[in-house]
Amino acid sequence: MGAENSDRKHKAGVIMLAVVLLLLSVINCLQPDKLLSEAERRTLKQRPFLTLDSILKKEYSDEFEEYAMDQFPYREAFRRMKAVSLYGLFREKDNNGIYLVNGFAAKLNYPLNEKSLKNAIDKFRYIYDTYLKEGSGELFSCVVPDKGYYLAEKNGYPALNYEELFQNVEEGMEYTQYIDITDCLGIEDYYRTDTHWNQVKLIPVANRLAEKMGFLEQLSNQYEESASGIPFYGVYYGQSALPLQGETIRYLTNNTTQACNVYHYETKETTLVYVTEKLKSSDPYEMYLSGADPLLTIENPQANTDKELIIFRDSFASSLALLLLEGYSKITLVDIRYIKSSILDDYIDFHNQDVLFLYSTLILNDSYSLK
Amino acid sequence: MLFSSITFLYYFLPLVLILYITLPFRYKNLWLLLSSLIFYAWGEPLYSILILLCILQGYLIGLRIEAARGTVRARRWLILSVILSLGTLGFVKYYDFFASNIKVLTHLPLPILSIALPLGISFYTFQILSYTVDVYWGTVKAERNLLDFTAYAILFPQLVAGPIVRYSDISHQLHQRTHSLSKIYLGSRRFIVGLGKKVLLANSFGMLCSKFDTSGDRSVLFYWVYAVAYTLQIYYDFSGYSDMAIGLGRMFGFEFMENFNYPYISKSITEFWRRWHISLSTFFRDYVYIPMGGNRVSKPRQLMNILVVWMLTGLWHGAAWNFVLWGLFFASLLILEKFVFSNWIMISKRSVLSSVLSHSYVLLAVIISFVLFRAESLGQAFLDLQGMFGLTEVPMVSQESWYYLRSYGVLLLMGAIGSTPIVKNGLLKLISTRFGETIAIILEPAILVMLLLVVTGYLVDGSFNPFLYFRF
Repeated sequence: MGAENSDRKHKAGVIMLAVVLLLLSVINCLQPDKLLSEAERRTLKQRPFLTLDSILKKEYSDEFEEYAMDQFPYREAFRRMKAVSLYGLFREKDNNGIYLVNGFAAKLNYPLNEKSLKNAIDKFRYIYDTYLKEGSGELFSCVVPDKGYYLAEKNGYPALNYEELFQNVEEGMEYTQYIDITDCLGIEDYYRTDTHWNQVKLIPVANRLAEKMGFLEQLSNQYEESASGIPFYGVYYGQSALPLQGETIRYLTNNTTQACNVYHYETKETTLVYVTEKLKSSDPYEMYLSGADPLLTIENPQANTDKELIIFRDSFASSLALLLLEGYSKITLVDIRYIKSSILDDYIDFHNQDVLFLYSTLILNDSYSLK
Repeated sequence: MLFSSITFLYYFLPLVLILYITLPFRYKNLWLLLSSLIFYAWGEPLYSILILLCILQGYLIGLRIEAARGTVRARRWLILSVILSLGTLGFVKYYDFFASNIKVLTHLPLPILSIALPLGISFYTFQILSYTVDVYWGTVKAERNLLDFTAYAILFPQLVAGPIVRYSDISHQLHQRTHSLSKIYLGSRRFIVGLGKKVLLANSFGMLCSKFDTSGDRSVLFYWVYAVAYTLQIYYDFSGYSDMAIGLGRMFGFEFMENFNYPYISKSITEFWRRWHISLSTFFRDYVYIPMGGNRVSKPRQLMNILVVWMLTGLWHGAAWNFVLWGLFFASLLILEKFVFSNWIMISKRSVLSSVLSHSYVLLAVIISFVLFRAESLGQAFLDLQGMFGLTEVPMVSQESWYYLRSYGVLLLMGAIGSTPIVKNGLLKLISTRFGETIAIILEPAILVMLLLVVTGYLVDGSFNPFLYFRF
């Protein structure tokens, strides 16, 4: 290369690099710190407090680096740049464990964690032995397959041994009637950017449950479909950091859903089953029964039965339970991730209710949050 | 502080560079010294005192040796320097290793101290030691300015992971060096390329290795994918760090020695070690092998010299038997090449087939050596090697291994190609044309900016970011 061209290149290079480095450094130092990452749905690290002790123990330097990473300007754009290079340039098949197939984002969920599964089954056994063994109604169990069930193996991603998981649940919970819903679902029944399923696609699942639980004839299956006007970006949107398109949260209403009231034991508040204000929150999926909640009851004043149902559940049940309302006068939803199993009888009078254990493969394969 | 961290890139480096550029020459070394101290203390606040004491002993003993040159006192001072330097290194790095082995053999109640290894101690100890030896040999004059000597020993670009810069190589530059826009650009280019090698390639290969570590679905294929990934990780990690160090040095007006020269294209292990961690192999050659007599002694003695040097090279990398075995593994191959297969090595340069065979032999030996190198214990190393050769009860292929081979296939291919001079030669050819020269004026800096931004993306996403050579 000629000396003149070399000089030009060197000048251009120094100017370009200096501008980028200094600009980002200056913005980095001047911009106010943020509290939350909406895309990742988590709090961001704040500037650590400087003490002699924290310096000597190397805590300050470690915490400062975490803070610097979290508060970096245009962080989401940089994360997206990483994800795009990782998928586009290096052709890696997952980013932070999230993979994409035909626009559907899913999490690598493998291998089968037998210890975790046993932990969950033991927890359920404890509930059965303590509260249900004597004097409950009929007992059912159902496993909600995560998106990987429909995506992973056929697209070459490592897949959980789902059949073994289902079989273990069925055999380990022999005191329940196991209900298989895998054939009632397909990948299109889940949100593209989220873990969860789409309520408007769940009527076949509700019918399967109702059929096995003996109240199929009470389901009208007459609903009006409503849609949120606010784009929904699910949890995988932030984790994958890819420019995925927003979706629409849809929900089903009829006279029953509109008439029901939900009592939340933790907050002692009563709400409607759909809390549309939550559509503006960081997790719009919380519009179904207000999202994560240790214990709530849904009273159905229009029920023509006095049967009650208790669902031990994770977040998948929030949208599905509303489609079972017509079969019961009261449905109680218990999430033992947020309430200890040992104190349930302080809040619930177990008396001949039907019981459904409804858990997703995601929770069963990582069940240590169950209390 | 890691070079590949937001703290270094967007807080430390801009501030250090701006002040360095604006200060007059007489203050530049002082500023480098202060910033290097901050750099070191950020990661090792307590051990900053140790490094300063090591530097002080090197400085004072250097002066003493020079004052007593040619007398027996100079030799005594040198011995004292060797004892202090290697004694410190030996105590903090090797005490537990030797104590635990002696305990096993003698059942003596020796305490295990579990001392955290001070960052970069293997590097700065060797630098200071090479200085006092060079002063003793009269290769360099003793540095009279404590500030300049400290700046040399603690210079942050090469402080924690090399290359091992000898005082004789930069003593002149410490007092007189030039700075220019071109040097800053070329230094930045080298730094960013090294950063890319480290963050985009080495860390990704490291991630693949950690997937292997936690996998419950291993297979022969997975063992090989892991072995190749680690071979590439260690190359990109360490050569990337060396590139960053050399680049930073150039930005501050220093020229450090090259540390890597495409080692994976070697056709013999002898050649491999002329291309891999050059500053360490030349250190052992010049300060251990040649003083022991090198090649100018009888064959049995020569064999002994090679074994000692390579056992030490292994131990330098870590206080564990697998490192000793790693060093001796290379010693055996070097001895075979030197005394048994020397003709074959010559022939391999002439025919294509023998060239391919030689290259394959080196790659296989290097891959096996790094499996041994990475293992947590000798038992683990043998298990991994058995796994690679189908001697354990794992299938040939598993679901997971197949997935990760496909997921990292492009990266592995890019890593393999990037470890040869193909890309560099292609780019040089491209910019040697008039058209290429013209577009390179904008395109090259633009690509560097893009690379910096992508690396930043990887860093803010909290990607896997260890530095393998920090532990040495």
